Parts: sequence; structure tokens; C-alpha cells
Amino acid sequence: MTAPLQYYLLLSAALFCVGLFGVLTRNNALIFLMSVELMLNAANVNFVAFSVYHGNLTGQLFALFVIALAAAEVAVGIGIFLVLYRNFGEVDVTVPTTMRW
Amino acid sequence: MAGEHIAFSFAPAIAALPLVAFVVALTFGRFMPKGGAFATILATGGSLLLSIWAAVAVAGGEVYHETLYVWSPAEALELHFGALIDPLSALMLVIVSLIAFLVQVFSLGYMNDEGETGLPRYYAGMGLFSFSMLAFVMADNVLMAFMFFELVGLCSWLLIGFWFREAGPASAAKKAFLVTRFGDYFFLVGVVGIFAAFGSGLFVGDEAFPVLAEEALANGESVLGFAPETGITILSLLVLGGVIGKSAQFPLHTWLPDAMEGPTPVSALIHAATMVAAGVYLVARIYGFYALSPTALAIVAFVGGFTALLAATMATVKQELKQVLAYSTISQYGYMMLALGAGGYVAATFHLMTHAFFKALLFLGAGSVIIAMHHNENMWDMGGLKERMPVTYWTFLAGSLALAGILPFAGFWSKDEVLYEALIHGVNTPLLLAAYAMGLLAVFFTGFYTFRMVFLTFHGDPRTDTAEDPEGVRWNVKFPLVVLGTLATVAGLINMAPVKKLLGPDIDYLHQWLNGPEEAAALTAHHYGDLLHDYAGYTAADLSPLLPAVVSLGIALAGVLLAYRLYAVPEPEQHTDRLGAIKTLWFNNYYQDEYQVWIAEGVAYPFAKAADTFDQGVVDGVVDGVSSVSLFSGSRIKRIQTGIVTNYAALLALGLIGLLLLLGVTGGWFA
Amino acid sequence: MTTKPELDLGRHLLPGIIAVGLFVVMATLVVRSSFGDPTGFGGVGSVTAAIGFALFDILGAETVPAGTEGFLAAFETIAFVLVAALVGGVTLARREVEGEVVTALRSEVDRRWGPEQTDGGSPTEREDDAR
Repeated sequence: MTAPLQYYLLLSAALFCVGLFGVLTRNNALIFLMSVELMLNAANVNFVAFSVYHGNLTGQLFALFVIALAAAEVAVGIGIFLVLYRNFGEVDVTVPTTMRW
Repeated sequence: MAGEHIAFSFAPAIAALPLVAFVVALTFGRFMPKGGAFATILATGGSLLLSIWAAVAVAGGEVYHETLYVWSPAEALELHFGALIDPLSALMLVIVSLIAFLVQVFSLGYMNDEGETGLPRYYAGMGLFSFSMLAFVMADNVLMAFMFFELVGLCSWLLIGFWFREAGPASAAKKAFLVTRFGDYFFLVGVVGIFAAFGSGLFVGDEAFPVLAEEALANGESVLGFAPETGITILSLLVLGGVIGKSAQFPLHTWLPDAMEGPTPVSALIHAATMVAAGVYLVARIYGFYALSPTALAIVAFVGGFTALLAATMATVKQELKQVLAYSTISQYGYMMLALGAGGYVAATFHLMTHAFFKALLFLGAGSVIIAMHHNENMWDMGGLKERMPVTYWTFLAGSLALAGILPFAGFWSKDEVLYEALIHGVNTPLLLAAYAMGLLAVFFTGFYTFRMVFLTFHGDPRTDTAEDPEGVRWNVKFPLVVLGTLATVAGLINMAPVKKLLGPDIDYLHQWLNGPEEAAALTAHHYGDLLHDYAGYTAADLSPLLPAVVSLGIALAGVLLAYRLYAVPEPEQHTDRLGAIKTLWFNNYYQDEYQVWIAEGVAYPFAKAADTFDQGVVDGVVDGVSSVSLFSGSRIKRIQTGIVTNYAALLALGLIGLLLLLGVTGGWFA
Repeated sequence: MTTKPELDLGRHLLPGIIAVGLFVVMATLVVRSSFGDPTGFGGVGSVTAAIGFALFDILGAETVPAGTEGFLAAFETIAFVLVAALVGGVTLARREVEGEVVTALRSEVDRRWGPEQTDGGSPTEREDDAR
């Protein structure tokens, strides 16, 4: 028996907010990326839950594609952080503040 | 009232010809043989012929009134340029164009032969001035008159400051412009007032504002919210401001002596015969308006009489030839104002005409002397020129006799009639009587300073080498002198009113001329006489003209005799030094110049500075304040863009929450 | 070097409130809405097999549950995107020292890291003119 839908949605919301807190708070670039991954996975949970609820596989397939895209995004993101490190000497996301007033 | 005579179809050309000469002299002057002189001579000659032709037409009993160009066709207020040729304006057109023509010819001798530079500018200025003055004379409404009044002042500035590279002429030109402009400010307010009160500025016709004012006064309607007499008086006095400035009456007379810095032909044309006449002509033009207000008339007369005496006293102690003539001009225009104020419309016009002739003659004569003396104007360096410059001497003498008012020269007849009119209307009015007394006293001074001038300049032994061997003058100088000399002698014949009163023959031609055709009944001397009697309460005492004439002639001769005793000697002394402190007062022009400078620096300048501070501080301050609010708020708000990514993410999330809440509340999710 | 995350109430308060606030909003919405019973994947033997069938557009009543869409185009697109991401990552990581590209694998330029280091040893002092 599957659990009622609300629990999965609550779980998804909680995961998302945890990831959000990480994005807002963490200084290290790699931890920042991990928090973004957490948010993406929260969305995946949401997709799968609704897929089971409606009996439609589209949701699960969509979640698969999200995972693949997340991987691609991380690859590019790491590359950007490498360049960032070369220019600023650190991987702290609060250090590069030149694009402002 | 369009005249049907063919002469009138050329009426606009009277003013337009000098305008064309202005353009020609300005653009092509440097290619022309005499620097543009021929253009202006031909133009003013043409204007003279057309004016004479128009005058002949008017003598035949027609009056010309035409609207030439409407530049504001609004229903409520139509503003236009128009021409009015009636007896008064036809007479003035002939006078102005004649003197302009003679002065242009004279300029050939004064400017061209003396090797002056910048002649195209000079002749262009003369052309522009002739255009403005003729258009002013022909104007049919007060706004057009005002515009050309101002333009004439501009030309005066241009021509006085002809030698602008020197400090004196440039400053004198500025002073002339500013002082007349000060008076013109009141005139402008008056013009606006006239339009506001009567809705029309016309001089002639059923819509003419003097006619409307007369109706308002007769019916007791209010003028500008005041009682009709008060309103009319206020408007008259406002217009009088411009007149006082332009005709150099006290207190705005200070510009005219300084204006002698300009070339002498300019002084002859503008500051003797035409531009300063504009003020007096304006009052004569709207005399139907002034005749309704006894207060305004009394003020006009008193100002005139006072100025006549004041200027005559100042002229007696001057050392430079043109300065004496300048103060003499101020004094004589005082006589004209006295005549107008005392109800002598014909007398004022007569004196205007004769004065134009003999004063222009005297200035041109002075110009001839100045050429001879190599531009040295000090009379104490002259002497003995009588034998060396006979034509100049005899014409100058004719002009001086006319100025002093000696029988039978023109000046006698006109000045005598002015004083007679003042006396007979002033028998019951103390103000007019006081003005008459001042005018009579000024006759003595006039005779004195005129002949002091003549004797110092022409009689006695030459006091310097230049006077011993003066430079000769040519026909272009002598010809205008002869013409004007003749006119100064015989012009009195056109209105020998005392002879008519005593002996009966109908020879007061000018009076008949100004009584004019019936088409413009409101503009005739007869109508003005009725207005003076009905509204201003002027009654003419029944005095024989013989006694006043004898008295004024006697006083004039006394002045001449005194000058003869003191100055017609081989080596005259500066007898005026015996007056001591009075001489200092007169020589310094009663300190009027210093007083006016004090008003400008002590009163007007601090006020202007306060206004400037208000403008910079308050008005500009408000604008700057608005911009500073924007700048300040911008500098604060931009700090949101910190450049830190996590801050941006926080703002994003905050926005998301806000949106969700908003949508939820309005969409009923939480309900 | 990782450090234990510290909860800095000064700087972390606002993000904390934002995160918690968002959770509260979403949780309220979820709790207040009424859902029915979840429909399972009845009639399909293996969900994984069904995913595979749907991925290649093999849609039929016995392969995939009703209402499922085909994802072949998306599959190909994702493949392309992944390749692009890989190339992009490698491009961003390129480093050029004296005209020759330095890669994570062995190159002639970088003498500091010898075979000992790649096997887990410690770096030795070496004389080189590269860095």
C-alpha cells in the first residue's frame, strides 16, 4: 500500500526548503552546488509521487530527465568554479562581488 | 475710409522706400561709390515727393485710412498695421522726409568727405531710421505706433553708437536707449491698458479709442474699473511716460546731451527734428484722448514749462557747441508740451514744424563749423568764423533768430502762439499760469544762450589757429543749410495768427489745414477745441494777442542784447563764471545724471540682486531639491545589488513566498 | 578541507526564516487540499520495463500504463545536452601554460607531480623550469 499523497508532498517541501537554506547560507561553492542538487531532488520526489497518484508514468520519466540534466548542470558548474578559483583564488561564492554598483 | 486719390495708393511706399535703402546699403553698401549714400538719398527723396503728393491730396479734402496687414485676426482683438494720412500726419510726413533728405545730402559732406569708415552701416542705419519714423507717423493704431516708437529708439542707439569703438559714444548710446526704454515701459502698460479698456487702439474711425473714451465719459461708464475721468487720466499719464522719455522732458532728459556723441547729421535728424518729435507727435495724434482729462493736460503743461526753463538755464553755461543745441532742443520741446497741455493744438504743431526746420538748420550749421574746426566743438576755441564761412554764418544766424523768437522769423510766430495759448487758457488755472511764467522766463534765457553761441562761434577774433584757417566745406554742406535757412525765415508765414486776430485776413493756413476734411471729423482742431471746452473745462480768455507778443519779443530781445553786450567783443571772457555756485549747478546739469545713476546702483541693483538670490535659491533650489531626492534615493536603493549570489537567491525566495501568499489569499487557497 | 557547519544566528537568521516560511506556506497548502486515493500502476507487470518502453516510444496497452507519453525526442535531446555539458566542462577546465595544454592526466609541462603522487605518495622536490 502506498502512503497518502500528502506525506510525499510534505517530504518534498521539506527537502526543498532544506536545500534552499543551504543555497542561502553556505559559502563554499561545492556545498552550494550540493544544495542545488538537493532542491532538484526534492522536485523529483514530487514528480514521482504525483506519477503514482495519477497512474501515469510521465512523471517518473520526467524525473529521470531531471536527474540527467542535473548531472549536466553540475558538470558545467564545476568547470565554472574552476575558472572562478583561477581568477579569485578561492571557491567562496561571497568573494566575487565585482558585478554590482 | 480709403482715399481714392491715386497718391494714396503709394502711401505705403513712403515708408517702404527707406526700408529698401536700408537693405541695399547694408548688403551692397561697400560696393557702392559713396558707401550707400545714393540709396538713402534716392529713397528719402522719393519719400519726400510722395509725401508732398499725398499732402496735396489731403489738401483736396480726402483722408486716407487703410489696413495694410492684419497679424492677429482674432475676433476679440484685431491687431494690424495700417496707414492713416490726415492733415497732421501728412504735414509730419513732409517735414520728416524733407529733413531726412537734406541730412542725407549733408552726410555726404560730413561723413564721406571726412573719410569716415563704416559708411554702409551709417547709411543703412539712416535708412532704417527713416523707415521707422515715417511708419510711426503713418501709424493708425497705438500698438503699431508703439512698435515703431521702439524701433526708432533702436535706430537712435545704432546711430549714436556709430563710433562704438570709443567708450564715449558706446556709453551714450546705451544711456539713450535705457532712459527712453524706461519711459517706454510705462507707454507699453498704457497701450495694454487702452486695449483692455476700449478693445481697440485705433486713432481714427468709429472704433477709435479717443471716440470710445469720449462716449464712456459722456455716459459715465467705467474705464478699467475706475470712474471714467480717473481711468482716462491714468492711461494718459502712462502713455505720457513714453512721451517724456522720447521727447527728453524732465526727468528723462538726461540722455539727449550725451547723445551728441553721435555724428552731427544724426543729431540733426534724430535728436533735433524727428525722433524727439515722436513723443510730441504722439500726444498730438491722440489729442482727442488727452483733451478729455484736465489733470493730464495740466501735468503735460507743467512738465513742459518746467523743462523749458530748466534746460534753458543749463544751456547758458555750456562750452561745447552741440551741447548748447541739445539743451536748446530739450527746452523747445518743453514749449511744445506746454502748448499741448494748455490746449493749443495748432500752436504745438506749428512750433513742432518750425522747430524741426530751425533746429535741424542749427545742427547742420554746427556740423559745418565742426568740419571746419577739425572736430573741435569747444566754442572758446572758435571765433571770427563769420568772414571765413559766410554761407554757414548767415544760415546759422537765420536759425538763431528763429530759435530766439525774433520777428519775423518762423520761431517768433510759433513760440508766440504757444505762449499766447498758455496765457489765455491759463488765466483761471494757476498751474497753467505758472507754466506760462516759466515759459516766458525761458524766453530770456533762450535769447541769451542762442546769441552767446552765435557770438562766441562766429564773431570776435579767432582764438586758435584752426579758427584762423578753417577747412572749407562743399556744396553738399551748403545746399541743405540754404534750404533750411530759407524755411526758417519764411515758414512762419503759414500761420500768422496774431496778424489774423488783429487785422482780419484769413491767413492762419495751418489752423485751416488742421481743421481738415470732414471725413475725419474727430481728428480736427475744431473737434479738439470742443472737447477741451466740454470735458477739460478750458475757456479762452478774450485777450488781444498784441500785448503778450510784444512782451515775449521784448524779453527775447533783452536776452539777445545782453549776449551782445557780453560776447560780441573781439575777446570775450567767461562771464558766466560770475554766477559762481549757480554756474556749477547748471554746468553739472542739476546733478540729474548722478541722481539717476544713484537710482540705478542704489535702488535698482540691490533689488535685482535680491530677485536673483530668490531665483537661484528658491526657484532653482526647488528643482535641485527634487533632483537630489531622486539621487539620494537612488544611491540608497542601489546597495541592494551587493554582488553576492546568496543574497540574490534570498531575494528570489522571498519574492516567491510573497507571490504565493498573494495568489493564495486572492485565490482563496487559505479560505 | 571541510568544516562542521555552524549555525550563525546573526547571518543565518533571515535565510532560516525564509526557508521555514516557504515550508510553512507549502505545507499549509498541502494539508488543506484534499486528494483522493492514489491510483497505482495496475495492469503493468514491471514499472521499469514500462519506463524503458515509454522512453523509446513503444506505447501500447500492454507495455505502458494508460496516458503515458513518448519521450524519444526528449531522450535524444538529453543525450545531446549531456555531450555538450561534458565538452563544456572540459573546455572550462583547460589551462594553458607556455602554449601547451595542461590536463589532469600526465603532460610534459607539469613536473611537480610525478608517478609517486598519482599513486598516493607525497610530492618530492624536483628541479624544473616549468613553474
